[in-house]
Amino acid sequence: MEYFIQQLINGLTLGGLYALIALGYTMVYGVIQLINFAHGEFFAAGGYVGVIVLNYFAGRGLMDSNPWLCLAASLALTMAYCAFLAMAVEKVAYKPLRHQSRLAVLLSALGMSIFLQNALMLTQGVFDKPYPGEKFSGGLVFGDIRISVLQMMIVGLTILLLVGLNLLVFKTRIGMAMRATAQDKIMTSLVAISSNRIISLTFAIGSGLAAAAGIMVGLYYGSVRYDMGFVPGIKAFAAAVLGGIGNITGAMLGGLIIGMVEIFGAGYISGQYKDVFAFIILIAVLYFKPTGIMGENVDDTRV
Amino acid sequence: MKRKLLVALVLGIMVVPFLMDTATAKTLKLGSMGPLTGPYAADGNDIKNGVLCAIDVINDQGGVPGYDKIELFPQDTACDPKQAVASANKLINLEVVGVIGAYCSSSTIPASETLAEEDIIMITPASTNEKVTDRGLPYMFRMCGRDDDQAPAAVKFMKEALGAKTIFILDDKTTYSQGLADGVEKACKEMGLTVLGRDHVNQGDKDFSAILTMARDKNADVFYMSLQNHASGSLMAIQAKRMGLKSKIISQDAMFHPNFISVAKDAAEGVYVTYGYTDKTTDAYKAYEKRFSAKYGQIGAYGTYAYDAAIALMTAIKNAGSTDPAKIKAEMMKLDYDGASKHVKFRPNGDSGSSYVAFKIDGGDYKLYWTPEKGILK
Repeated sequence: MEYFIQQLINGLTLGGLYALIALGYTMVYGVIQLINFAHGEFFAAGGYVGVIVLNYFAGRGLMDSNPWLCLAASLALTMAYCAFLAMAVEKVAYKPLRHQSRLAVLLSALGMSIFLQNALMLTQGVFDKPYPGEKFSGGLVFGDIRISVLQMMIVGLTILLLVGLNLLVFKTRIGMAMRATAQDKIMTSLVAISSNRIISLTFAIGSGLAAAAGIMVGLYYGSVRYDMGFVPGIKAFAAAVLGGIGNITGAMLGGLIIGMVEIFGAGYISGQYKDVFAFIILIAVLYFKPTGIMGENVDDTRV
Repeated sequence: MKRKLLVALVLGIMVVPFLMDTATAKTLKLGSMGPLTGPYAADGNDIKNGVLCAIDVINDQGGVPGYDKIELFPQDTACDPKQAVASANKLINLEVVGVIGAYCSSSTIPASETLAEEDIIMITPASTNEKVTDRGLPYMFRMCGRDDDQAPAAVKFMKEALGAKTIFILDDKTTYSQGLADGVEKACKEMGLTVLGRDHVNQGDKDFSAILTMARDKNADVFYMSLQNHASGSLMAIQAKRMGLKSKIISQDAMFHPNFISVAKDAAEGVYVTYGYTDKTTDAYKAYEKRFSAKYGQIGAYGTYAYDAAIALMTAIKNAGSTDPAKIKAEMMKLDYDGASKHVKFRPNGDSGSSYVAFKIDGGDYKLYWTPEKGILK
């Protein structure tokens, strides 16, 4: 039983991380029907900017006195940086192709992903960059069950950001504009809502969430690497599709399911088929419900 | 018309130096193979730098007679068998005399078969799988140790020095890591240790929480961590510490890299690593260390072996006074000297012998802890 609970906690943490990354995929898809393959790289960039900022604080001795404040500040800075990065990428690589075929934008996204990954490799080097994660050690211990501070932090932050995002999308005017743009770009621009601005904003928010996940991953696993964006990017994409791409709650659910399946598959069967389990679930769900769990059988234009 | 002639003349004169260069300069071409990109880039670059360092040393000693310069053609294998074969073919086209590499056993084996068709000497500084030299290729040499020496040495260490009775074995399914893990499992059965669990992870995994929870549940005396590269090793060590794994962690030569400690930090403390013994007090090592560190920084696991491999190859070419592979091989077999990593003396099958000992990570450094002959060192 203790074993099960421990694996459940591990699964929740991993699922939370996937969910955070998946949200960006799903939001961008919801608004402009683009699978943004460069999204994983925003996540990796977030991990790197996070460690640079944290090391800057550590170098000034601030990490020792108030580590939590430093973490909050670096989260805010990193999310802002990645938001701007995503907006810039959108301007350069996607906006000029908006009226071309979807394939052109998709290829542009793939190219951007390779470009960003190589830029990270060339500027940051090929070695792992260690994270000052030991400041956040400790946690709760119940017999054989351990919940580390970082695990609580990841789950907590995921819930917080999700609630915030839901409020933004469903309770504010900006959210309303986003949903409207998703439904019909031309009609929305006729009522004086700048669809370009809304699209930029969608990229910014999605990338900000991925950047938060990047910092969390760095702290939780202890280091970041220039190619860290690829595999979680693919998993998060799978999570978004599993949940019904374009649907925010679906992305969250998909992330959690993939995280859980991976951990339980590895914990009860074998670690070598971890990725296989995740994708078997994806295929099974899509076979029986092609729109994904939360997807609806309507036109694929919804946030 | 006159003007055209003048232009032609000037251009012609400008080309002369290049023609002269190709006519007079004789280059000794060497190749190196290793992953220069991808997850194992750190080790691949160490190999390349080790060879470059060796070329500097030979140049300081006056180079190789009959050649004006020695040029290295480093190839990126990315640890991928297909790319390794392509690199081997490229080196054949460049007409290299010998090759230092590759890194992953899974790419060294197919690449060596391609090079063997052209009778090109290959010395691996890093591939420890038994098959590398057991296939009987005439021009295949190995500077590092062998898995079937390392695995029993590791188990002997667990049993004698740590008093271990139970073990949990984990690998990441590469030729190297799985071969070594299989060897450890076999040696455990022979020496009477109980294998409580055996599992695999995927290369490039970051999340090991599930598998570490399983290992913690089994609570074996020893957790044998057989991974292809130190980057995943340090992640696993960090997570194991957070997870509260009580078993002692033992790993192998791939974890013998300064980056393993610099990333894992506290979590690396107390981890045991089996690795070929290098006497760092010898003059040969000190000379190498001084030269390598000045140019390339910290010494990685395979830089030293690559350096020795390149020195051995170039010395053999010097002694042979020829690039005929049979003559170089004959000279390689005659070599008998103290290299930076170990005493260099090749056996008929191309191996240079193993000298596996155990290191303990203590105070941010690898401390020699145990040798098969002397037991735990005080």
